[in-house]
Amino acid sequence: MTAALLDVEDLQVELITAGGVIRAVDGVSFSIAEGETVTVIGESGSGKSTTAMAVLGLLPDDLAVLSGSVRFGGTDVVADPRALHEVRGRTVSLIPQDPMTALSPVHTIGRQLGEAVRLRKPELTKRAAEARAVELLDLVHVPRAAEQLGRYPHQLSGGMLQRVLIAIALAGEPRLLVADEPTSALDVTVQAGILALLLELQESTGIGILMITHDLGVARLVSDRIHVMRDGRFVESGEVEAVVDHPTHEYTRKLLAAVPVLGPWDEDVAGGER
Amino acid sequence: MGSYLLKRLGQSVLTVFLTISTVFVLIRLAPGDPAAAYAGPLATTEDLARIRAAFGLDRSVVEQYLLFLKGILTGDLGTSYSFRSPALDVVLERLPFTITLALAAILITTVVAVPLGVWMARRADTTRELGANVVTIAGQSMPDFWSGIMLLTVFAVLVPVLPASGFATWGGLVLPAVTVAILQIALISRLVRSEMAKNLTAPYLTVARSRGVSERALVWRYAMTNSSIPVVTALGTRFASMLNGVVVVEVVFAWPGVGSLVVRALETRDYPLIQATVLVTAALAVTVQLLVDLAYPLLDPRVRLGKKVSA
Repeated sequence: MTAALLDVEDLQVELITAGGVIRAVDGVSFSIAEGETVTVIGESGSGKSTTAMAVLGLLPDDLAVLSGSVRFGGTDVVADPRALHEVRGRTVSLIPQDPMTALSPVHTIGRQLGEAVRLRKPELTKRAAEARAVELLDLVHVPRAAEQLGRYPHQLSGGMLQRVLIAIALAGEPRLLVADEPTSALDVTVQAGILALLLELQESTGIGILMITHDLGVARLVSDRIHVMRDGRFVESGEVEAVVDHPTHEYTRKLLAAVPVLGPWDEDVAGGER
Repeated sequence: MGSYLLKRLGQSVLTVFLTISTVFVLIRLAPGDPAAAYAGPLATTEDLARIRAAFGLDRSVVEQYLLFLKGILTGDLGTSYSFRSPALDVVLERLPFTITLALAAILITTVVAVPLGVWMARRADTTRELGANVVTIAGQSMPDFWSGIMLLTVFAVLVPVLPASGFATWGGLVLPAVTVAILQIALISRLVRSEMAKNLTAPYLTVARSRGVSERALVWRYAMTNSSIPVVTALGTRFASMLNGVVVVEVVFAWPGVGSLVVRALETRDYPLIQATVLVTAALAVTVQLLVDLAYPLLDPRVRLGKKVSA
């Protein structure tokens, strides 16, 4: 295994809420190497998205208390939150859950993508940044890329927007993508396209992916390793085949059993009803 | 767009027409006789009759109204009783003073209220924001005649650094403009705060932060631009209402604008002057409102004029 892009050790996140302090993430550890996809799977409220947001330092300072360590290369962003400025966009980028709300509605695609390009390469002229933006949109298979630059988010479909967001995430040439349920707001047919794109990008660039999902189908398709999360802890971790085929923890088994299976409509036929 | 503009222009003309018609009727229903006000307490009945005839007040109200409408079309709004010159000219002479005061007040409001609102939004629900809240609520609760007199007392009397009244120098603009702005700052900063608080926690902002966009750009380029529609609307509406004459403040500071003019016109029952003032200021107010509406698509590309918007 190559050196870890991300190394999380005993991460704890306590959230300060009106009802008191909640330990949303309770001592999780994992690491992601180059070219690897690690999935954190769990139901709503299990702490998987909080883990992702904590890794990116996106939890509000006054409402979340972090401990443990989150290392990108040698930089621990829990110990030194100011280092996040160096890390965000350059080492790690986020692919958000709902593409429809993830872009500023009053700025064009070109403006937002161009900004991301120039954050990484401030020396680029406006025209060069635009050329790079078109290149990135081509990379994520957005048709008629140059034309899309002048359009606003509300003029694109959810699937197209997610591709644009992936392009924006790639603009900083990160080594790791954090994908927070990147397909849960999309139609099933569009989901497959986005996952295929992520795998294709990983194949060509060797980027690491931290995938957050509640969907076992997604996890099985893209992951090298899976961590099953419940109530802020990893209850089971391992290679994807091992966890899916031979789950050891009761909760993992229940999670696997919850996946619907296509069967005949007739309920009398064995296996048709679950 | 063309049909939208025509429709909105039609609406604007109708609004002005209804406003001046209402005012035309109301001032004639109100107690008081222009002839008596003009002639003074020593006038005889014959004097009054002569004056009424000279002012055209001996005709029926319907007749007077039709003459008034005809006058609007020909640009003749009658002769002011008290100034003895064309009413429209008197109003247009005063208008630049009110526009200057309104512009200065709206400028101060924008420059103070927007950063203050942003500051409050970034510290939403903290003790420091509570302090700012108390100040803005106080600003909102202070009547302008009182804050005007307080400012006068402090800056023109106790520490005489600014003129107390009139518009002889640019310094004379400061106190009235600040007095008008106090209430507006209180209102607008609270609006900016609530809009910004909403946008500062919007998903697009978190995603932009995740790709390394600086805090300054997040606040000003992202959240502020997205908050601009309600803020620009409110500023436009406040500006339009100031053009109707900032009556109390103009009187307190002896400001030679339409606000103090309309007070004098009302006192002397100067019907042509009241009507001319209302016509001009109403027309200005609806024009500003129309311009604000036309600016919406520039502020938010999702807005298409004349179409229903789904947020």
